[in-house]
Amino acid sequence: MVVRERLAGEKLAVELCGIALETPLIPASGTLSKEALGEVGSVYGAILPKTTTPRARAGNPPPRIAETPAGMVNSIGLQNPGVEKFLEGLDAFDLGVPIFVSVAGDTVDEFVALCGRLAGDPRIAAVELNLSCPNVEHGGLTFCAGPASAREVIEACRDALSSKPLFAKLTNEGVVANAIAAEEAGADALTVINTIPALTIDASAQTILVRGGLSGPAIKPVALRAVYDVSRAVNIPVIASGGVSTGTDVAEFMLAGATAVQVGTASFVREPEEILSEFSEYLDRMGTTASELTGAL
Amino acid sequence: MKFHGVKIEDREWIGGYTLIRYRWDGAIEPGQFAMARVAGYPVTFDPFLARPFSFYDHDGETASLLFEVRGRGTALLDDAPDRIEVSSPLGRGFRINGANGPVALLGGGIGVAPLKVLSRRLDALSVPHDVFLGFADARYAAVAGEFPGAKVATVDGSAGVQGTVLDAAPDLTRYTAVYACGPNPMLAAVKRAAGEDAFCQLSVEERMGCGNGSCNGCVVPVRDGGYVRSCIEGPVFDAEALAW
Repeated sequence: MVVRERLAGEKLAVELCGIALETPLIPASGTLSKEALGEVGSVYGAILPKTTTPRARAGNPPPRIAETPAGMVNSIGLQNPGVEKFLEGLDAFDLGVPIFVSVAGDTVDEFVALCGRLAGDPRIAAVELNLSCPNVEHGGLTFCAGPASAREVIEACRDALSSKPLFAKLTNEGVVANAIAAEEAGADALTVINTIPALTIDASAQTILVRGGLSGPAIKPVALRAVYDVSRAVNIPVIASGGVSTGTDVAEFMLAGATAVQVGTASFVREPEEILSEFSEYLDRMGTTASELTGAL
Repeated sequence: MKFHGVKIEDREWIGGYTLIRYRWDGAIEPGQFAMARVAGYPVTFDPFLARPFSFYDHDGETASLLFEVRGRGTALLDDAPDRIEVSSPLGRGFRINGANGPVALLGGGIGVAPLKVLSRRLDALSVPHDVFLGFADARYAAVAGEFPGAKVATVDGSAGVQGTVLDAAPDLTRYTAVYACGPNPMLAAVKRAAGEDAFCQLSVEERMGCGNGSCNGCVVPVRDGGYVRSCIEGPVFDAEALAW
Protein backbone atom coordinates (compact mmCIF):
# COMPACT_ATOMS: atom_id res chain seq x y z
CA MET A 1 0.00 0.00 0.00
CA VAL A 2 3.06 2.22 0.08
CA VAL A 3 2.66 2.92 -3.61
CA ARG A 4 -0.86 4.12 -3.19
CA GLU A 5 0.09 6.52 -0.39
CA ARG A 6 2.90 7.88 -2.45
CA LEU A 7 1.04 8.26 -5.71
CA ALA A 8 -2.53 8.76 -4.64
CA GLY A 9 -4.38 11.99 -4.48
CA GLU A 10 -6.48 14.27 -6.58
CA LYS A 11 -3.81 14.45 -9.21
CA LEU A 12 -4.25 10.90 -10.50
CA ALA A 13 -7.92 10.32 -9.71
CA VAL A 14 -10.50 10.10 -12.46
CA GLU A 15 -14.18 9.28 -12.61
CA LEU A 16 -15.50 6.74 -15.09
CA CYS A 17 -19.26 6.32 -15.41
CA GLY A 18 -19.72 7.41 -11.82
CA ILE A 19 -17.00 5.04 -10.59
CA ALA A 20 -14.15 6.73 -8.75
CA LEU A 21 -10.75 5.45 -9.89
CA GLU A 22 -7.67 6.34 -7.87
CA THR A 23 -5.60 6.20 -11.05
CA PRO A 24 -6.65 6.17 -14.71
CA LEU A 25 -4.81 2.91 -15.40
CA ILE A 26 -6.68 -0.37 -15.91
CA PRO A 27 -5.17 -3.69 -17.01
CA ALA A 28 -6.32 -4.65 -20.51
CA SER A 29 -8.30 -7.87 -20.51
CA GLY A 30 -6.22 -11.00 -20.81
CA THR A 31 -2.95 -9.44 -19.73
CA LEU A 32 -3.01 -9.75 -15.94
CA SER A 33 -3.08 -13.18 -14.32
CA LYS A 34 -4.06 -13.93 -10.76
CA GLU A 35 -0.45 -14.94 -10.18
CA ALA A 36 0.82 -11.53 -11.30
CA LEU A 37 -1.53 -9.51 -9.09
CA GLY A 38 1.13 -9.27 -6.41
CA GLU A 39 3.34 -7.31 -8.78
CA VAL A 40 0.87 -4.56 -9.56
CA GLY A 41 0.40 -3.20 -6.05
CA SER A 42 -2.16 -0.45 -6.28
CA VAL A 43 -1.09 0.98 -9.59
CA TYR A 44 -4.42 0.29 -11.22
CA GLY A 45 -7.58 2.30 -10.63
CA ALA A 46 -9.61 -0.82 -11.38
CA ILE A 47 -8.86 -4.48 -12.05
CA LEU A 48 -10.03 -6.23 -15.20
CA PRO A 49 -9.40 -10.00 -15.34
CA LYS A 50 -9.23 -12.10 -18.48
CA THR A 51 -12.41 -12.45 -20.54
CA THR A 52 -14.89 -14.97 -19.21
CA THR A 53 -17.28 -17.05 -21.35
CA PRO A 54 -20.38 -19.12 -20.50
CA ARG A 55 -18.45 -22.41 -20.51
CA ALA A 56 -14.81 -23.33 -20.08
CA ARG A 57 -12.65 -22.86 -23.19
CA ALA A 58 -9.44 -24.81 -23.71
CA GLY A 59 -8.10 -22.14 -26.02
CA ASN A 60 -6.09 -22.59 -29.20
CA PRO A 61 -3.29 -25.11 -29.68
CA PRO A 62 0.23 -23.64 -29.56
CA PRO A 63 2.01 -21.76 -30.98
CA ARG A 64 -0.10 -18.94 -29.60
CA ILE A 65 2.29 -16.03 -29.61
CA ALA A 66 4.90 -14.62 -31.95
CA GLU A 67 7.10 -11.63 -31.27
CA THR A 68 7.15 -8.80 -33.79
CA PRO A 69 9.02 -5.49 -33.79
CA ALA A 70 7.60 -3.45 -30.89
CA GLY A 71 4.87 -5.95 -30.23
CA MET A 72 3.53 -9.45 -30.45
CA VAL A 73 0.82 -11.36 -32.27
CA ASN A 74 -1.35 -13.58 -30.12
CA SER A 75 -4.03 -16.15 -30.75
CA ILE A 76 -4.95 -17.48 -27.33
CA GLY A 77 -8.54 -18.41 -28.08
CA LEU A 78 -10.10 -17.03 -24.89
CA GLN A 79 -8.79 -19.85 -22.70
CA ASN A 80 -10.74 -19.56 -19.46
CA PRO A 81 -12.51 -21.79 -16.93
CA GLY A 82 -16.03 -20.52 -17.68
CA VAL A 83 -18.10 -17.97 -15.80
CA GLU A 84 -19.06 -20.09 -12.79
CA LYS A 85 -15.49 -21.03 -11.91
CA PHE A 86 -14.48 -17.46 -12.73
CA LEU A 87 -16.94 -16.09 -10.18
CA GLU A 88 -15.76 -18.65 -7.58
CA GLY A 89 -12.25 -17.27 -7.95
CA LEU A 90 -13.13 -13.60 -8.34
CA ASP A 91 -12.29 -12.66 -4.75
CA ALA A 92 -8.61 -13.21 -5.57
CA PHE A 93 -8.84 -10.12 -7.78
CA ASP A 94 -10.05 -7.92 -4.93
CA LEU A 95 -7.24 -5.41 -4.44
CA GLY A 96 -9.53 -2.87 -2.85
CA VAL A 97 -10.32 -1.19 -6.17
CA PRO A 98 -13.33 -1.66 -8.49
CA ILE A 99 -13.43 -4.87 -10.52
CA PHE A 100 -14.52 -4.72 -14.16
CA VAL A 101 -15.38 -8.02 -15.84
CA SER A 102 -14.79 -8.74 -19.53
CA VAL A 103 -17.29 -11.14 -21.14
CA ALA A 104 -17.59 -12.85 -24.51
CA GLY A 105 -20.10 -15.22 -26.06
CA ASP A 106 -20.68 -17.02 -29.33
CA THR A 107 -24.19 -15.58 -29.70
CA VAL A 108 -26.18 -12.59 -28.52
CA ASP A 109 -28.05 -14.91 -26.16
CA GLU A 110 -24.78 -16.01 -24.58
CA PHE A 111 -23.75 -12.39 -24.03
CA VAL A 112 -27.14 -11.70 -22.48
CA ALA A 113 -26.95 -14.75 -20.22
CA LEU A 114 -23.50 -13.70 -19.02
CA CYS A 115 -24.64 -10.16 -18.31
CA GLY A 116 -27.66 -11.50 -16.46
CA ARG A 117 -25.39 -13.71 -14.37
CA LEU A 118 -23.13 -10.78 -13.45
CA ALA A 119 -25.77 -8.06 -13.05
CA GLY A 120 -26.56 -8.83 -9.43
CA ASP A 121 -23.00 -9.51 -8.23
CA PRO A 122 -22.03 -6.61 -5.97
CA ARG A 123 -18.31 -7.34 -6.43
CA ILE A 124 -18.48 -6.29 -10.06
CA ALA A 125 -18.47 -2.55 -10.77
CA ALA A 126 -18.89 -2.74 -14.55
CA VAL A 127 -18.93 -5.19 -17.44
CA GLU A 128 -16.85 -4.87 -20.62
CA LEU A 129 -18.24 -6.63 -23.69
CA ASN A 130 -15.46 -8.20 -25.74
CA LEU A 131 -17.08 -7.70 -29.14
CA SER A 132 -14.09 -8.92 -31.17
CA CYS A 133 -15.09 -12.56 -30.96
CA PRO A 134 -16.96 -14.27 -33.80
CA ASN A 135 -20.75 -14.31 -33.81
CA VAL A 136 -21.55 -17.89 -34.84
CA GLU A 137 -25.04 -16.83 -35.92
CA HIS A 138 -23.61 -14.28 -38.34
CA GLY A 139 -21.20 -16.46 -40.24
CA GLY A 140 -18.36 -15.83 -37.83
CA LEU A 141 -18.22 -12.07 -38.32
CA THR A 142 -17.36 -10.34 -35.07
CA PHE A 143 -19.99 -8.67 -32.92
CA CYS A 144 -18.48 -5.33 -33.87
CA ALA A 145 -18.21 -6.08 -37.58
CA GLY A 146 -20.71 -3.31 -38.18
CA PRO A 147 -23.05 -0.87 -36.43
CA ALA A 148 -26.13 -3.10 -36.70
CA SER A 149 -24.35 -6.05 -35.18
CA ALA A 150 -22.86 -3.97 -32.36
CA ARG A 151 -26.21 -2.31 -31.66
CA GLU A 152 -28.05 -5.62 -31.37
CA VAL A 153 -25.77 -7.17 -28.77
CA ILE A 154 -25.28 -3.97 -26.77
CA GLU A 155 -29.01 -3.23 -26.55
CA ALA A 156 -29.69 -6.75 -25.33
CA CYS A 157 -26.87 -6.64 -22.78
CA ARG A 158 -27.85 -3.17 -21.61
CA ASP A 159 -31.21 -4.56 -20.48
CA ALA A 160 -29.65 -7.66 -18.92
CA LEU A 161 -27.14 -5.68 -16.89
CA SER A 162 -29.78 -3.56 -15.17
CA SER A 163 -28.02 -0.51 -13.74
CA LYS A 164 -24.47 -1.84 -13.95
CA PRO A 165 -22.26 0.20 -16.31
CA LEU A 166 -21.62 -1.43 -19.70
CA PHE A 167 -18.37 -0.89 -21.60
CA ALA A 168 -18.21 -1.95 -25.25
CA LYS A 169 -14.73 -2.93 -26.44
CA LEU A 170 -14.36 -2.13 -30.14
CA THR A 171 -11.82 -3.07 -32.77
CA ASN A 172 -10.16 -0.48 -34.92
CA GLU A 173 -11.95 -1.32 -38.15
CA GLY A 174 -15.03 0.86 -38.55
CA VAL A 175 -14.56 2.11 -35.03
CA VAL A 176 -16.31 5.48 -35.35
CA ALA A 177 -19.52 4.13 -36.86
CA ASN A 178 -19.55 1.29 -34.33
CA ALA A 179 -18.92 3.73 -31.49
CA ILE A 180 -21.89 5.87 -32.49
CA ALA A 181 -24.09 2.77 -32.69
CA ALA A 182 -22.81 1.56 -29.33
CA GLU A 183 -23.63 4.85 -27.67
CA GLU A 184 -27.13 4.84 -29.17
CA ALA A 185 -27.58 1.24 -27.97
CA GLY A 186 -26.89 2.26 -24.40
CA ALA A 187 -23.19 1.64 -23.82
CA ASP A 188 -21.91 3.67 -20.88
CA ALA A 189 -18.30 3.76 -22.12
CA LEU A 190 -16.24 2.48 -25.03
CA THR A 191 -12.94 0.65 -24.87
CA VAL A 192 -10.93 1.54 -27.97
CA ILE A 193 -9.24 -0.54 -29.48
CA ASN A 194 -8.65 -4.30 -29.38
CA THR A 195 -5.68 -6.04 -31.03
CA ILE A 196 -5.31 -5.56 -34.78
CA PRO A 197 -5.66 -8.60 -37.09
CA ALA A 198 -2.16 -9.77 -37.97
CA LEU A 199 -0.18 -12.70 -39.28
CA THR A 200 3.33 -14.02 -38.71
CA ILE A 201 5.04 -16.50 -41.01
CA ASP A 202 8.14 -18.59 -40.46
CA ALA A 203 9.82 -18.31 -43.86
CA SER A 204 12.43 -20.98 -43.20
CA ALA A 205 9.83 -23.53 -42.17
CA GLN A 206 7.34 -22.15 -44.72
CA THR A 207 4.56 -22.28 -42.15
CA ILE A 208 2.21 -19.84 -40.52
CA LEU A 209 3.41 -19.07 -37.02
CA VAL A 210 0.47 -17.20 -35.54
CA ARG A 211 -2.64 -15.76 -37.13
CA GLY A 212 -4.13 -13.52 -34.49
CA GLY A 213 -4.06 -10.02 -33.10
CA LEU A 214 -1.18 -7.56 -32.92
CA SER A 215 -0.60 -5.69 -29.66
CA GLY A 216 2.17 -3.64 -28.14
CA PRO A 217 3.78 -0.26 -28.90
CA ALA A 218 3.54 -0.99 -32.64
CA ILE A 219 -0.20 -0.27 -32.61
CA LYS A 220 -0.13 2.84 -30.44
CA PRO A 221 -0.47 5.45 -33.22
CA VAL A 222 -3.42 3.51 -34.65
CA ALA A 223 -5.11 3.34 -31.26
CA LEU A 224 -4.41 7.01 -30.61
CA ARG A 225 -6.13 7.98 -33.86
CA ALA A 226 -9.11 5.78 -33.00
CA VAL A 227 -9.43 7.23 -29.50
CA TYR A 228 -9.19 10.76 -30.86
CA ASP A 229 -11.79 10.20 -33.58
CA VAL A 230 -14.21 8.29 -31.35
CA SER A 231 -13.97 10.88 -28.57
CA ARG A 232 -15.17 13.49 -31.00
CA ALA A 233 -18.02 11.36 -32.27
CA VAL A 234 -19.63 10.31 -28.98
CA ASN A 235 -20.54 11.84 -25.63
CA ILE A 236 -19.74 8.83 -23.45
CA PRO A 237 -16.31 8.18 -21.90
CA VAL A 238 -13.61 6.44 -23.91
CA ILE A 239 -11.19 3.96 -22.32
CA ALA A 240 -8.02 3.81 -24.38
CA SER A 241 -6.31 0.52 -25.14
CA GLY A 242 -3.55 -0.21 -27.61
CA GLY A 243 0.21 -0.07 -27.16
CA VAL A 244 0.30 2.02 -24.01
CA SER A 245 3.76 1.52 -22.57
CA THR A 246 4.99 4.77 -21.04
CA GLY A 247 3.63 7.55 -18.87
CA THR A 248 3.79 9.83 -21.87
CA ASP A 249 1.60 7.38 -23.79
CA VAL A 250 -0.99 7.64 -21.00
CA ALA A 251 -0.90 11.43 -21.29
CA GLU A 252 -1.25 11.29 -25.07
CA PHE A 253 -4.29 9.03 -24.90
CA MET A 254 -5.95 11.24 -22.31
CA LEU A 255 -5.21 14.35 -24.34
CA ALA A 256 -6.81 12.57 -27.29
CA GLY A 257 -9.95 12.12 -25.25
CA ALA A 258 -9.60 9.04 -23.03
CA THR A 259 -10.96 9.08 -19.50
CA ALA A 260 -9.02 5.97 -18.49
CA VAL A 261 -6.20 4.03 -20.11
CA GLN A 262 -5.61 0.30 -20.29
CA VAL A 263 -2.15 -1.20 -20.04
CA GLY A 264 -1.72 -4.62 -21.62
CA THR A 265 1.24 -6.03 -23.47
CA ALA A 266 3.64 -3.49 -21.97
CA SER A 267 3.07 -5.07 -18.56
CA PHE A 268 4.89 -8.16 -19.88
CA VAL A 269 8.09 -6.20 -20.29
CA ARG A 270 8.00 -3.59 -17.56
CA GLU A 271 6.29 -2.80 -14.30
CA PRO A 272 3.01 -0.92 -14.61
CA GLU A 273 4.14 1.06 -11.58
CA GLU A 274 6.86 2.64 -13.72
CA ILE A 275 4.23 3.77 -16.23
CA LEU A 276 2.15 5.34 -13.49
CA SER A 277 5.22 7.02 -11.98
CA GLU A 278 6.12 8.50 -15.35
CA PHE A 279 2.58 9.72 -15.81
CA SER A 280 2.59 11.24 -12.34
CA GLU A 281 5.85 13.03 -13.12
CA TYR A 282 4.35 14.30 -16.36
CA LEU A 283 1.41 15.76 -14.46
CA ASP A 284 3.76 17.47 -12.01
CA ARG A 285 5.88 18.81 -14.82
CA MET A 286 2.85 20.18 -16.64
CA GLY A 287 1.14 21.40 -13.47
CA THR A 288 -2.07 19.60 -14.27
CA THR A 289 -4.18 16.62 -13.18
CA ALA A 290 -5.31 13.45 -14.89
CA SER A 291 -8.93 14.49 -15.15
CA GLU A 292 -8.00 17.88 -16.62
CA LEU A 293 -6.11 16.14 -19.42
CA THR A 294 -9.09 14.29 -20.85
CA GLY A 295 -9.95 15.77 -24.20
CA ALA A 296 -7.76 18.83 -23.61
CA LEU A 297 -6.74 18.78 -27.25
CA MET B 1 6.93 -7.93 -14.95
CA LYS B 2 9.70 -6.61 -12.76
CA PHE B 3 13.25 -6.77 -14.12
CA HIS B 4 16.45 -6.32 -12.16
CA GLY B 5 19.57 -4.83 -13.69
CA VAL B 6 22.50 -7.14 -13.00
CA LYS B 7 26.17 -6.99 -13.87
CA ILE B 8 27.55 -9.87 -15.89
CA GLU B 9 30.43 -11.16 -13.79
CA ASP B 10 31.70 -13.60 -16.32
CA ARG B 11 30.92 -14.82 -19.81
CA GLU B 12 32.13 -18.05 -21.29
CA TRP B 13 31.57 -19.82 -24.59
CA ILE B 14 31.37 -23.57 -24.24
CA GLY B 15 31.06 -25.28 -27.57
CA GLY B 16 27.90 -23.93 -29.17
CA TYR B 17 26.56 -22.36 -25.99
CA THR B 18 27.01 -19.13 -24.08
CA LEU B 19 27.28 -19.07 -20.29
CA ILE B 20 26.75 -15.85 -18.37
CA ARG B 21 27.08 -15.41 -14.64
CA TYR B 22 25.65 -12.71 -12.42
CA ARG B 23 25.29 -12.19 -8.72
CA TRP B 24 22.02 -13.48 -7.30
CA ASP B 25 21.79 -14.32 -3.61
CA GLY B 26 18.07 -15.09 -3.55
CA ALA B 27 16.80 -18.66 -3.57
CA ILE B 28 16.68 -20.56 -6.86
CA GLU B 29 15.10 -23.98 -7.20
CA PRO B 30 16.62 -26.35 -9.79
CA GLY B 31 14.41 -26.17 -12.88
CA GLN B 32 13.28 -22.59 -12.32
CA PHE B 33 13.94 -20.01 -15.02
CA ALA B 34 14.49 -16.29 -15.48
CA MET B 35 13.32 -13.94 -18.20
CA ALA B 36 16.37 -12.05 -19.52
CA ARG B 37 17.04 -9.25 -22.00
CA VAL B 38 19.75 -6.81 -22.88
CA ALA B 39 18.46 -3.41 -21.91
CA GLY B 40 15.72 -1.59 -20.11
CA TYR B 41 12.43 -1.13 -21.82
CA PRO B 42 11.37 1.09 -23.57
CA VAL B 43 14.85 1.39 -24.99
CA THR B 44 14.52 -1.69 -27.17
CA PHE B 45 11.45 -2.33 -29.27
CA ASP B 46 13.12 -5.09 -31.27
CA PRO B 47 13.39 -7.55 -29.76
CA PHE B 48 10.39 -6.56 -27.71
CA LEU B 49 10.05 -9.47 -25.31
CA ALA B 50 12.51 -10.92 -22.84
CA ARG B 51 13.64 -14.53 -23.27
CA PRO B 52 13.17 -17.39 -20.79
CA PHE B 53 16.24 -19.35 -19.68
CA SER B 54 16.50 -22.15 -17.16
CA PHE B 55 19.06 -21.51 -14.49
CA TYR B 56 22.22 -23.44 -15.27
CA ASP B 57 23.82 -23.12 -11.89
CA HIS B 58 23.56 -21.26 -8.59
CA ASP B 59 25.95 -21.50 -5.68
CA GLY B 60 23.96 -19.23 -3.41
CA GLU B 61 25.76 -16.10 -4.57
CA THR B 62 26.21 -16.38 -8.31
CA ALA B 63 23.60 -17.56 -10.78
CA SER B 64 24.31 -18.58 -14.34
CA LEU B 65 22.32 -18.97 -17.52
CA LEU B 66 23.35 -21.18 -20.42
CA PHE B 67 21.84 -20.52 -23.81
CA GLU B 68 22.19 -21.10 -27.51
CA VAL B 69 22.05 -18.17 -29.92
CA ARG B 70 18.92 -18.82 -31.96
CA GLY B 71 17.64 -15.36 -32.87
CA ARG B 72 17.98 -11.67 -32.21
CA GLY B 73 17.16 -11.84 -28.51
CA THR B 74 19.81 -14.41 -27.75
CA ALA B 75 22.32 -12.86 -30.16
CA LEU B 76 22.08 -9.56 -28.30
CA LEU B 77 22.52 -11.30 -24.95
CA ASP B 78 25.50 -13.14 -26.37
CA ASP B 79 27.42 -9.92 -27.00
CA ALA B 80 25.60 -7.74 -24.50
CA PRO B 81 27.37 -5.02 -22.59
CA ASP B 82 28.26 -5.87 -19.01
CA ARG B 83 24.75 -5.31 -17.71
CA ILE B 84 21.58 -7.20 -18.55
CA GLU B 85 18.12 -7.30 -17.03
CA VAL B 86 16.66 -10.40 -15.45
CA SER B 87 13.46 -11.32 -13.68
CA SER B 88 13.40 -13.05 -10.34
CA PRO B 89 13.39 -16.87 -10.49
CA LEU B 90 10.10 -18.06 -11.98
CA GLY B 91 8.07 -21.23 -12.34
CA ARG B 92 8.01 -24.61 -10.67
CA GLY B 93 11.26 -26.51 -10.58
CA PHE B 94 12.13 -30.18 -10.20
CA ARG B 95 10.65 -32.04 -7.26
CA ILE B 96 13.10 -34.31 -5.54
CA ASN B 97 11.33 -37.42 -4.35
CA GLY B 98 12.25 -39.23 -1.18
CA ALA B 99 14.06 -42.11 -2.85
CA ASN B 100 17.78 -42.58 -2.43
CA GLY B 101 18.50 -43.12 -6.07
CA PRO B 102 20.12 -43.75 -8.29
CA VAL B 103 18.31 -41.21 -10.46
CA ALA B 104 18.79 -40.36 -14.13
CA LEU B 105 19.23 -36.89 -15.62
CA LEU B 106 18.74 -36.53 -19.35
CA GLY B 107 19.36 -33.45 -21.46
CA GLY B 108 18.83 -32.83 -25.15
CA GLY B 109 20.74 -29.94 -26.71
CA ILE B 110 20.30 -26.75 -24.70
CA GLY B 111 18.04 -28.87 -22.46
CA VAL B 112 21.28 -29.61 -20.64
CA ALA B 113 20.88 -26.23 -18.92
CA PRO B 114 18.86 -27.05 -15.77
CA LEU B 115 20.71 -30.33 -15.14
CA LYS B 116 23.80 -28.66 -13.66
CA VAL B 117 21.97 -27.00 -10.80
CA LEU B 118 19.82 -30.11 -10.35
CA SER B 119 22.96 -32.23 -10.15
CA ARG B 120 24.34 -29.82 -7.54
CA ARG B 121 21.17 -30.21 -5.48
CA LEU B 122 21.26 -34.01 -5.75
CA ASP B 123 24.90 -33.97 -4.64
CA ALA B 124 23.93 -31.91 -1.60
CA LEU B 125 21.27 -34.49 -0.78
CA SER B 126 23.75 -37.35 -1.40
CA VAL B 127 21.49 -38.80 -4.11
CA PRO B 128 23.59 -40.74 -6.64
CA HIS B 129 22.73 -39.81 -10.20
CA ASP B 130 23.79 -40.54 -13.77
CA VAL B 131 23.79 -37.87 -16.46
CA PHE B 132 23.00 -38.56 -20.13
CA LEU B 133 23.33 -35.85 -22.74
CA GLY B 134 22.42 -35.76 -26.40
CA PHE B 135 23.55 -33.17 -28.94
CA ALA B 136 23.56 -32.53 -32.66
CA ASP B 137 27.33 -32.74 -32.92
CA ALA B 138 30.65 -32.57 -31.08
CA ARG B 139 30.69 -28.77 -31.04
CA TYR B 140 27.59 -28.65 -28.83
CA ALA B 141 28.65 -31.75 -26.94
CA ALA B 142 31.65 -29.83 -25.57
CA VAL B 143 29.42 -28.68 -22.71
CA ALA B 144 29.32 -32.29 -21.49
CA GLY B 145 32.78 -31.58 -20.07
CA GLU B 146 30.98 -29.63 -17.34
CA PHE B 147 29.29 -32.88 -16.25
CA PRO B 148 31.99 -35.33 -15.13
CA GLY B 149 31.04 -38.90 -15.96
CA ALA B 150 28.17 -37.93 -18.27
CA LYS B 151 27.38 -40.32 -21.12
CA VAL B 152 27.07 -38.52 -24.45
CA ALA B 153 25.34 -39.17 -27.74
CA THR B 154 25.48 -37.07 -30.90
CA VAL B 155 23.19 -37.31 -33.88
CA ASP B 156 26.13 -37.28 -36.30
CA GLY B 157 28.29 -39.53 -34.15
CA SER B 158 31.08 -36.94 -33.87
CA ALA B 159 31.19 -37.37 -30.07
CA GLY B 160 30.05 -40.20 -27.83
CA VAL B 161 27.71 -42.79 -29.25
CA GLN B 162 25.85 -42.08 -32.45
CA GLY B 163 22.14 -41.40 -31.89
CA THR B 164 19.90 -39.61 -29.43
CA VAL B 165 20.27 -39.20 -25.69
CA LEU B 166 18.30 -42.40 -25.18
CA ASP B 167 20.95 -44.27 -27.13
CA ALA B 168 23.46 -43.15 -24.51
CA ALA B 169 21.23 -44.19 -21.62
CA PRO B 170 20.67 -47.70 -20.27
CA ASP B 171 17.26 -49.05 -19.25
CA LEU B 172 15.65 -46.07 -17.51
CA THR B 173 13.29 -48.27 -15.49
CA ARG B 174 16.17 -49.13 -13.18
CA TYR B 175 16.19 -45.59 -11.77
CA THR B 176 14.07 -44.38 -8.86
CA ALA B 177 13.53 -41.04 -10.60
CA VAL B 178 14.05 -39.65 -14.09
CA TYR B 179 14.54 -35.95 -14.83
CA ALA B 180 14.76 -34.60 -18.36
CA CYS B 181 14.87 -31.36 -20.31
CA GLY B 182 14.93 -30.91 -24.06
CA PRO B 183 12.73 -30.63 -27.13
CA ASN B 184 9.21 -32.03 -26.77
CA PRO B 185 9.78 -35.13 -28.97
CA MET B 186 12.77 -36.08 -26.82
CA LEU B 187 10.75 -35.59 -23.64
CA ALA B 188 7.96 -37.75 -25.01
CA ALA B 189 10.52 -40.47 -25.79
CA VAL B 190 12.01 -40.21 -22.29
CA LYS B 191 8.53 -40.51 -20.80
CA ARG B 192 7.94 -43.73 -22.76
CA ALA B 193 11.34 -45.12 -21.87
CA ALA B 194 10.92 -44.37 -18.17
CA GLY B 195 7.74 -46.44 -18.06
CA GLU B 196 4.28 -45.70 -16.77
CA ASP B 197 5.03 -46.15 -13.09
CA ALA B 198 8.15 -44.01 -13.09
CA PHE B 199 8.71 -40.89 -11.05
CA CYS B 200 9.52 -38.84 -14.14
CA GLN B 201 9.73 -35.06 -14.34
CA LEU B 202 10.10 -33.16 -17.58
CA SER B 203 11.16 -29.54 -18.10
CA VAL B 204 9.55 -28.22 -21.29
CA GLU B 205 10.93 -25.61 -23.69
CA GLU B 206 8.30 -23.14 -24.86
CA ARG B 207 8.28 -19.64 -26.27
CA MET B 208 7.06 -17.24 -23.61
CA GLY B 209 5.57 -13.79 -23.69
CA CYS B 210 5.42 -12.63 -20.10
CA GLY B 211 6.74 -15.32 -17.75
CA ASN B 212 4.18 -14.51 -15.05
CA GLY B 213 1.13 -16.37 -16.25
CA SER B 214 -0.59 -13.40 -17.82
CA CYS B 215 -0.39 -13.95 -21.56
CA ASN B 216 -1.29 -17.66 -21.76
CA GLY B 217 1.16 -17.99 -24.63
CA CYS B 218 3.44 -20.77 -23.38
CA VAL B 219 0.92 -23.54 -22.89
CA VAL B 220 1.37 -27.29 -23.13
CA PRO B 221 -1.43 -29.85 -23.55
CA VAL B 222 -2.28 -31.87 -20.43
CA ARG B 223 -3.76 -35.33 -20.07
CA ASP B 224 -6.87 -34.07 -18.31
CA GLY B 225 -7.72 -31.95 -21.33
CA GLY B 226 -6.92 -28.39 -22.27
CA TYR B 227 -3.68 -26.54 -21.74
CA VAL B 228 -1.65 -25.24 -18.84
CA ARG B 229 1.00 -22.54 -18.76
CA SER B 230 4.61 -23.67 -18.67
CA CYS B 231 5.64 -20.47 -16.86
CA ILE B 232 3.35 -21.03 -13.84
CA GLU B 233 2.27 -24.68 -13.73
CA GLY B 234 5.71 -25.61 -15.19
CA PRO B 235 8.23 -25.47 -16.72
CA VAL B 236 8.77 -28.79 -14.91
CA PHE B 237 5.83 -31.18 -15.12
CA ASP B 238 5.17 -34.69 -13.92
CA ALA B 239 5.46 -36.70 -17.13
CA GLU B 240 2.13 -38.37 -16.50
CA ALA B 241 0.35 -34.99 -16.50
CA LEU B 242 1.37 -34.16 -20.07
CA ALA B 243 -0.74 -35.19 -23.05
CA TRP B 244 2.22 -36.31 -25.13
